[in-house]
Amino acid sequence: MSAPLLDTPRGRLAAWRPGPVALAGAVAVALVIVGELVSPGFAGYGQLVNLMRVAAFLGVIAIGQTIVIIAGGGGVDLSVGKVATFSAIIGSRVMAGDDANIVPAVALSLLVAAAIGLVNGLGVTLLRIPPFVMTLGMIGVVQGLILAYTGGQAEGRAAPALTSLVNGRVIFDLPGLLFLWLLLGLLAVWLLRRTTFGWNLFAVGANRTAASLTGVRVNRTLILAYVLSATFAGLAGILLLGYTESVFLDLADQYMLPSVAAVVIGGTLLAGGIGGYAGTAVGAIVLTVLQGLLTTLDIGGAWRTVVNGVVLLVLLSLYGRQRRLRS
Amino acid sequence: MSPPLLEMSGVRKRYGGVQALDGAGLTAVRGEVHALLGPNGSGKSTLDKTLAGTVVPDAGTIRIDGAEASVGGPRDAHALGVAAVYQQLSVVGDLTVTQNIVLGLEPARRFGFLDQRAARDRAGAALERFAAAFAGRLPLDRPAGALGPGEQQIVEVAKALARRPRILVLDEATASLHKEQVDVLFDVVRELRADGVLVLFTSHRLDEVFALCDRATVLRNGRTVGTVELAATDEDELVRLMVGDAPHQAPRTPSDAPATPSVAAPGTSTLEVRGLSADRLRDVSFTVRSGEVLGLGGLQGQGQSELLLALFGGARVTAGEAVLDGRPLPRSSPAKAARAGVALVPGDRGRQGMFAVRPIQENLSLASMRRRATGRLALRAAAERRAATSMVERLRIKIGSLADPVSTLSGGNQQKVVIGKWLLDRPRVVLLDDPTKGVDVAAKEEIYAIIRGLAADGAVVILNSSDNRELTELSDRVLVLFEGAVAEELGADAISERRLVSSALRLAPGEKL
Amino acid sequence: MTGVLDRVRGVQLSGLATVAMLVVAVAVNASLQPNFWDSYALTSNFATFVPLVAIAVGQTIVVLSGGLDLSLGAQVTLASVVAVRIVDGSLDRYPLAVAAALGVGLACGALNGLVVALLRLQPIVATFATSFVYSGLALVVLPTPGGSVPFEVTTAYRDSVLGVPVALLLIVALALLWLVLRRHRVMRHVYAVGGDADAAYASLVPVARTRVWAYVLGGLFAALSALAILANTGSGDPFVGNELTLASVAAVVIGGTALAGGRGGAGGSVIGAIVLALVANIIFFADVPTDYRQLVNGAVIILALALAGIPALQKRRAA
Repeated sequence: MSAPLLDTPRGRLAAWRPGPVALAGAVAVALVIVGELVSPGFAGYGQLVNLMRVAAFLGVIAIGQTIVIIAGGGGVDLSVGKVATFSAIIGSRVMAGDDANIVPAVALSLLVAAAIGLVNGLGVTLLRIPPFVMTLGMIGVVQGLILAYTGGQAEGRAAPALTSLVNGRVIFDLPGLLFLWLLLGLLAVWLLRRTTFGWNLFAVGANRTAASLTGVRVNRTLILAYVLSATFAGLAGILLLGYTESVFLDLADQYMLPSVAAVVIGGTLLAGGIGGYAGTAVGAIVLTVLQGLLTTLDIGGAWRTVVNGVVLLVLLSLYGRQRRLRS
Repeated sequence: MSPPLLEMSGVRKRYGGVQALDGAGLTAVRGEVHALLGPNGSGKSTLDKTLAGTVVPDAGTIRIDGAEASVGGPRDAHALGVAAVYQQLSVVGDLTVTQNIVLGLEPARRFGFLDQRAARDRAGAALERFAAAFAGRLPLDRPAGALGPGEQQIVEVAKALARRPRILVLDEATASLHKEQVDVLFDVVRELRADGVLVLFTSHRLDEVFALCDRATVLRNGRTVGTVELAATDEDELVRLMVGDAPHQAPRTPSDAPATPSVAAPGTSTLEVRGLSADRLRDVSFTVRSGEVLGLGGLQGQGQSELLLALFGGARVTAGEAVLDGRPLPRSSPAKAARAGVALVPGDRGRQGMFAVRPIQENLSLASMRRRATGRLALRAAAERRAATSMVERLRIKIGSLADPVSTLSGGNQQKVVIGKWLLDRPRVVLLDDPTKGVDVAAKEEIYAIIRGLAADGAVVILNSSDNRELTELSDRVLVLFEGAVAEELGADAISERRLVSSALRLAPGEKL
Repeated sequence: MTGVLDRVRGVQLSGLATVAMLVVAVAVNASLQPNFWDSYALTSNFATFVPLVAIAVGQTIVVLSGGLDLSLGAQVTLASVVAVRIVDGSLDRYPLAVAAALGVGLACGALNGLVVALLRLQPIVATFATSFVYSGLALVVLPTPGGSVPFEVTTAYRDSVLGVPVALLLIVALALLWLVLRRHRVMRHVYAVGGDADAAYASLVPVARTRVWAYVLGGLFAALSALAILANTGSGDPFVGNELTLASVAAVVIGGTALAGGRGGAGGSVIGAIVLALVANIIFFADVPTDYRQLVNGAVIILALALAGIPALQKRRAA
């Protein structure tokens, strides 16, 4: 039998560098060391726990982003930040600071989020609107929903039980939030690696035509991916609410770009079909440490935005090249 | 004596696991119409594209007028005086005919603004020679996409001629033309020959080759077999060159074939197809029963793949139906077809059959995992591994680890994975589209054994193959398709390679080969 | 082959549907806005149309080439804040500011083009990334709204010549600029590359260079949009372009250009942009409560994008 061959699609294989998770982890450690050198105390225990806590919100939002990006075909969900914001706003208003209302509040928030994801999924599959455009448009709609729902003024308050679940220290002075992130992360890994949905998702992302010709229900898988993406964003919104206790109208908006960047840093291919959540989680940590470092260096929000864009561009040129016309 | 106008030698090109060209070449002179012949997959188109600059070869030299030429892209080819007409149309449907003909070399005034009149004149002049093919009215201002396929092909030829080539490559340029259009094209080609142009002509239609060409170079398996003077050659000789001197019929006794793996669901089934029509498929009817291997023959691209896709719910059926054991097969959805017991091993493994970057495990599990999942959702790693391992052992797939991407396997083993994923789903009907394309000899025999085993176990098997020897070895009956319809049915005693080739080329059945 | 294997070629709206939408939008708007046909109302309406019309033309060119530019809005922002910082209320420096805005647009477009054509990144993601670079830089240049445009410019912008609003003349000028471009070899190649890049490559079209040109032209129109915004509002705003990107895509779709590329034209997009601007007007004059305006606006944009997909839906049913 002949030696193993690198067969089609070669470009995708060639573009894929092994071990992106380890690489991203090394970058995170390096950034922490740089931070400590520049500003002693950056790598202190309390500081690191704090960074991890900030990373957790991004990490939960990026679960859904990982799912839609793995689904391939230009799949992405730019509305995650806005959906998280909306979910927190609904949760806050329904909870109104009362533990008795937690269950209906969370249920309603997630239901609304899932419905938004469903619309995204239908637009992308049945109406064939490019995912970037569809979910970008959804941002405007959700923003409109937020204004209509709040009248421009968010009300309510997180239930105390939610706040203590998120902020309360469990062991080693670690907040509950980190354990919730761990739990959701494990759920994401299970979903991707040990369910028919996960395997169908990778198949659809790796080769949509072959998936269809293998009897995979492609559209159903894609729609479910967008529903899950919005639902995880909604969960992240609830967690943010527990952390901040009260909400404002653009609470989670700024997670849009980092959620995509975290996925890419973690080694999930934007072309779809390759990747996983562990990498995304590390990616979320890398980005958070980077933000922390930039803040420490007294670099303002404007330049941080520029840096974010450049980081994404650099990552794309490492991982996201397309085929040549000439063969 | 001056050197020949075109000399290509030692040209090699590998696509993934397939060696498309393995030292091909040809020599041709000015004022010649030179045919490039060979069976399906012999590398003719790849050789054409190498000359035209859209494929960069791994090795080989091209000499024009004796001087070594480097063709790194279509622009280089143009500078050398080469223009090509491709098998797959390269007209841009949204542009008008005029815009297509001058595309890339638009006449312009100052600052790059288009000179529409000059463009129209140039396009008109190029298309004028084909006026007869357009009933006298040249469609210069119509979108090219609105023309029929034959007319688009003519536009394509006109576009190449507008580039005033010294070497004109016509790759299956007559495939979509009507008889009258072919006549017009041939007149133009003869004019070009008289003007000293070299025309490289690739066609499956031997009658056209004899009618038009002076010499022919024959390719087989990516190698040049020889060049012949057509005036001194007959069809029999050409077919023999194309097929090769290997009349040995593999014995169909199961004893010396590898042990037959037992895989398919037991029982008996009947698949009845009645008047099935779809895109590129016209009114196809036949019946196949359990244990039978029905072969699909004919030239490549005569509707064989479309037929298999239509049976699998992957193509839009416009009329007719397929009935499996009295129940109509679902028309619109491969997912439903799969659940009804149909399996398709598609023709383009890389694009349609496998998930190159995904592990072997997932590739094998995908079609059948719903049967083993708890609540149709939760997978048990051990059960999936057991299922995959059983198939790896049954089909003798040579792998390192189930976790390796399937792309790390050889072509033959990749194909076994694609077949294996379906066998785990215990299908009643197995559709195979060219299952041994790009597969080495040893793996080929093993895949043959799998196919025989499927039939022996009671599956309905339909096999399309571009390899006539394969059809001869495996089929109980062969339907020869031509332009989407069943042209001829060959019973077991009538199946031979020669008969398949002559039938595919539409030579009269009684004609001696 | 049809069915699961068919590649979705561009679905697009017919010119008739585009014009019908314009007529309906004008009729509804005129019935709701009491003085719609007054010269003051017309002038101020057209004044608000120009920025969207300009960016829609730019987006059309990129879409025709088979790409999409999600950074156009950020380019508008960056070009406008650079210009406003330079002009700073002085008419003398206005030409310099115009040149700077155009330079910014061309440079941003060139960067996008290089990233897409030479690094071969997916256009949507690549321009998504560059949009953050541009909008971040805009915040660096002008952290908070401010700066002023010389009043001569804002006055001239809202003036009219022989009863015709200057802003309408600017829209006509943009349309004429498109018509001129369409007669240029680069635009022909843009159509060919967007229609079938492989065929274009085989036909000697310089595919990579053509793609760069498409983004550069997109940047040019973004800069023109920025100048119109400055002339209309009179001051700079580092968030001014945020909403424009998506609106430009919606205008392209309404205008009948296929998002798959190669088919359509900027004429339709000009109408599409006007329809969208009229819808914003209608929402205002229809007494939609303030809190619901954005929702209605967002829904309209999504519906416009969905319009492009309806033929695909019908085809699916027929199948």
